[in-house]
Amino acid sequence: MARNTFDVDEELETPFNLKHLKRLTVYVRPYKKKMMLTVLIMLIASGANLIGPFIIKHAIDQEIPDKSISGLMLLSGIFLAALVLSGICMKWRIRMMAEIGQSIIQNIRKDLFSHLQSLSFSFYDSRPHGKILVRVVNYVNSLSDLLSNGLIQLITDLFSLAVIFGFMLAIDVKLTLLTMGGFPVLATVIFFIKTAQRKAWQTLSNKQSNMNAYIHESISGMKVTQAFTREQENKRIFHRVSTGYKQSWLKAMYVQFLLWPSIENISVLTVSVIYVFGIAWIGHGVTVGALIAFIGYIWMFWTPLANIGNFYNAIINAMAYLERIFEMMDEQPAVKDNPDGKVLKTIKGKVEFESVDFGYGEKEQVLKNIQLKAEPGETIALVGATGSGKTTIVSLISRFYDCTQGKIKIDGTDIQGVTLPSLRKQMGVMLQDPFIFSGTIMENIRYGRLDATDEEVIEAARAVQAHEFISGLQHGYYTEVNERGTRLSTGQRQLISFARALLADPKILILDEATSSIDTETELALQKGLERLLAGRTSFVIAHRLSTIQNADRILYIDDGRIVEEGTHEELIEKKGWYWKLCNAQRLPSEAG
Amino acid sequence: MHSLRWIWGNMRPYRKRLALGLLLVLAVAGMNLINPYVAGKIVDRVIYGHQNGLLWQLLVIMIGSTLIRTGVRYGYQMLFENLSQNVIFSMREKLYDHLNQLEPGFYDRTKTGDIMARMTSDLEAVRHFTAWTIYMVVENLSILLFALCFMFYIHPPLAMAMLAVTPIIGFFAYRLTKDVRPTFSAIRNQFARLNSVVQENISGNRVVKAFAKEEYEIEKFSAENKAFKEKNLMSSRVWGKYLPILDSLAGVLTVIMTFAGGIMVIRGSLSIGELVTFNSLIWALNNPMRLAGWLINDIQRFIASAEKVEELLVTEPQIKSIIDEREVQTSTTILEFDHVDFSYEDGPVLCDITFEAHAGQTIGIIGPTGAGKSTLVNLLGRFYEVDDGEIRVDGINIKDWNIHQLREKMAMVMQDIFLFSDTIEGNIAYGNPDAPMEAVYAAAKQAEASRFIESLPDGYDTVVGERGVGLSGGQKQRIALARALLRDPSLLILDDTTSSVDMETEFKIQETLRSILKDKTCFIIAHRISSVKDADLILVMHEGCIIERGKHADLMERKGYYWHVYNNQLGNFERTPLGEEVI
Repeated sequence: MARNTFDVDEELETPFNLKHLKRLTVYVRPYKKKMMLTVLIMLIASGANLIGPFIIKHAIDQEIPDKSISGLMLLSGIFLAALVLSGICMKWRIRMMAEIGQSIIQNIRKDLFSHLQSLSFSFYDSRPHGKILVRVVNYVNSLSDLLSNGLIQLITDLFSLAVIFGFMLAIDVKLTLLTMGGFPVLATVIFFIKTAQRKAWQTLSNKQSNMNAYIHESISGMKVTQAFTREQENKRIFHRVSTGYKQSWLKAMYVQFLLWPSIENISVLTVSVIYVFGIAWIGHGVTVGALIAFIGYIWMFWTPLANIGNFYNAIINAMAYLERIFEMMDEQPAVKDNPDGKVLKTIKGKVEFESVDFGYGEKEQVLKNIQLKAEPGETIALVGATGSGKTTIVSLISRFYDCTQGKIKIDGTDIQGVTLPSLRKQMGVMLQDPFIFSGTIMENIRYGRLDATDEEVIEAARAVQAHEFISGLQHGYYTEVNERGTRLSTGQRQLISFARALLADPKILILDEATSSIDTETELALQKGLERLLAGRTSFVIAHRLSTIQNADRILYIDDGRIVEEGTHEELIEKKGWYWKLCNAQRLPSEAG
Repeated sequence: MHSLRWIWGNMRPYRKRLALGLLLVLAVAGMNLINPYVAGKIVDRVIYGHQNGLLWQLLVIMIGSTLIRTGVRYGYQMLFENLSQNVIFSMREKLYDHLNQLEPGFYDRTKTGDIMARMTSDLEAVRHFTAWTIYMVVENLSILLFALCFMFYIHPPLAMAMLAVTPIIGFFAYRLTKDVRPTFSAIRNQFARLNSVVQENISGNRVVKAFAKEEYEIEKFSAENKAFKEKNLMSSRVWGKYLPILDSLAGVLTVIMTFAGGIMVIRGSLSIGELVTFNSLIWALNNPMRLAGWLINDIQRFIASAEKVEELLVTEPQIKSIIDEREVQTSTTILEFDHVDFSYEDGPVLCDITFEAHAGQTIGIIGPTGAGKSTLVNLLGRFYEVDDGEIRVDGINIKDWNIHQLREKMAMVMQDIFLFSDTIEGNIAYGNPDAPMEAVYAAAKQAEASRFIESLPDGYDTVVGERGVGLSGGQKQRIALARALLRDPSLLILDDTTSSVDMETEFKIQETLRSILKDKTCFIIAHRISSVKDADLILVMHEGCIIERGKHADLMERKGYYWHVYNNQLGNFERTPLGEEVI
């Protein structure tokens, strides 16, 4: 899959259809009862509100001409009571709507996030992280109003529309039909606006995503930018990206805001037509009173209609986000957890590769026919030039990627046949690029095993020689570090992430350049502790420093995706092959003389 | 109030357009009264009065005024959209520019998710205010005032009576303003936290998977997600409390009108016709007051976000550059550290560092993890400020340099390699976007990267993921090295650049470096003796101090730390049977 960058719009593969809306109902359904209740509350409220005009009419027509102050007081009393009632209803409506809307949002976001957890590396590797972030957080947020306010408003509007329509029909069928004449015009206008608006919002959401991705990456890579004094160039790019966003925003607004004036003008035109015909028909089946009442309703008729139009607007806008959200939810993990997979029982640590091939894409073959067998407790070192495939080999053991050919077995069980968590929980992996979460050092180490006690954490830190520097910090293990662990040196980060891997107490330990940035002194001390720690664990060690690898039980020399040599340090030295050459290179040229 | 003044400062350049927009708002507010008026006339004159000839006239007025009104309204809505986009656009550029000026110390303290929240949702809240809230407030206020004036004109005592509720409305509006603000701040802060959790989860996805901690991550996320909902509900409870009161109070206006007006009519001080007119205007009082609560919410939301945006904008860069570039005589003493002390907040890192480097020299730095080696480099690029002492480049204190000019002299390969999600070519040319392809190829060749790049299916056009995922550590390091070499700097700084590169390749890289670094100064931080052995000056650092210095031979003679490390790295190996055979 081609990687996406900040300035490339993401193509959307699925066309617009009602499927998305239908899918949305899954989230709405659990709150059906609450929504019905809210609609009911709103109906009561609008009933209470309808009393107002009625009371005024009554006062002006009856009580005032009758000079009845007590009647006036009574009416006012009823009116006040109605206001209180509508106030209470409103309070509940606000609460319920917030509750419903926020719950739906919470659920969508949770599902999205959980799904994200099941996606494989390749998903994260193939697009800027800012684009993922914006979907989980910002896009979901923008649905909230639509789902709470919008939906309930729609239901009540439809309801009042039906009521008003009923009244209109009751008054005069001919005039009602005439009123309907405005509908096809409205439908046509809405259709055109919709088409343009939908396109505009799709573009907009793309541009927004691009801009956020660029901001995100700029923040992450700021130090490089400053070191290479590229601020001006980045500003230019940002200007371009930001302009793209602004323009697409305005374009969307130009279209979107057309809806209201259209509805209003069509409504006025329709009313005018009613006036003309209504007045002409007076005496021919239309009474004066009926006409006035009818016109009163016709004005009322357009308000909910305009609201519905607005809702439609909102749906179309939200659709641009919704599609992206669902698209991400539909993203299939490249490494699928086997639902019928067995739970891998506590393993001994035997690892076998049976003629494993692997390639990232169609074109790129990375590993070719890897045969490998590691007995429990063995330490296997992988050496070879950068990019030869060492990291890939160890990544396959944790099933970060699936091999394209062949089989990988742990304790004789094919790893494709077991559940992912049960597999990965038994491995301790120290990745090449140590990642530190924001939080304390204690929390970061404990990430390896969440129920570890403080003592166990400290124990692990001691084992990897990290205890000394950690206790040297002002707040010791409770020192706050952040995301990229900026305050810590790379070597220190490696030690922390090493401790994390050890704490997991894995049967299989994978150290991918675990010590590349650690000084030799620390490393030596580390190795003494390690020998004890590695006992009983199968470990795979990738390193360039000879001192790190020469004590391994077996050394594999990897070149261009193949194992070209295999044996102990001594055996390979004897052989005078690849490894021997490597050892020579390690020696200092001047030393050689 | 502060935030309002701040946004006004940002809108000032557009004040003419703003004035025009508000004028149009006023006009439309006035025109709103036309249709009800015309409709009333049709009923009075045409239907009851049978003046059928007037119908066409009145209808033309109605249609015409609607067309004009909706047209003008669309016009000013677009005007406000435009205006707000301009305001936000320049604000966003200012923010971005500002982010570029803030020093790494700021990024150490601030979570990416938090900055993202400010750049996205907070800016959105500010946008909403400038695009919508402002004209809505003015529109409703003017409708209210029009109606009030009209009412006072017709019958002052009744108008006064209706104003009687306004203090109560004012009181509750004030309470709402006060109570709702903290809830909006809480929402936006929680949003930033939510953003950070998701952001970290995405960045750290490899660790999450490696430790199969998906469940834990979901738990962590759910807590924040739930808190976000709670904060929103809390806020809605506050408006749930006040908005109905405001709404009902607006309704009370109608009650007062009916009751007081009714009594006045009965007493004879008001005509029934006047009461009807009042009634037809009551919506113009009701609606704005009903909306008041919502608008207050909008304004408070705006303030909560505006404060955050502004806070970011006024964060002073701790490291300030002098503006002017200066004439610099290249000196042979290209770099001096003069009794430099440095500490982070949580303790001292470097103490009394003194050394100098001459043009063409290579300085090697070696020492245990956390000894302050990388910090030294950070100080050199003026990413952090020294506490004491001076660093001089070409004889001039780096504080007196224009920071860009200073950094353009040097090129760094940092320990924590960051590549951008761009093509490999784009990454190598990051510091020189206009560099010709040949130069990029040459730099890649010098960094021993060309072979593996060319073996990729898309070669130099291969897009690497953010942070360079998809490449091995050694490949990333070599691309970063090529990026630095392309700068053709007079000071090259390599911080642990070849730690993940295999020995053979490292050896080749060193050969190349030696040939191209003839007149350049080079800093090499490394753990492998082989990387620093040939340096003109080797500094051995330990706990922030230089404990040994000299050439390889001197240090070997001293039999100190360096000698120790040397033996550990190579001595061991020499005892292998291979010893004599390696010539």
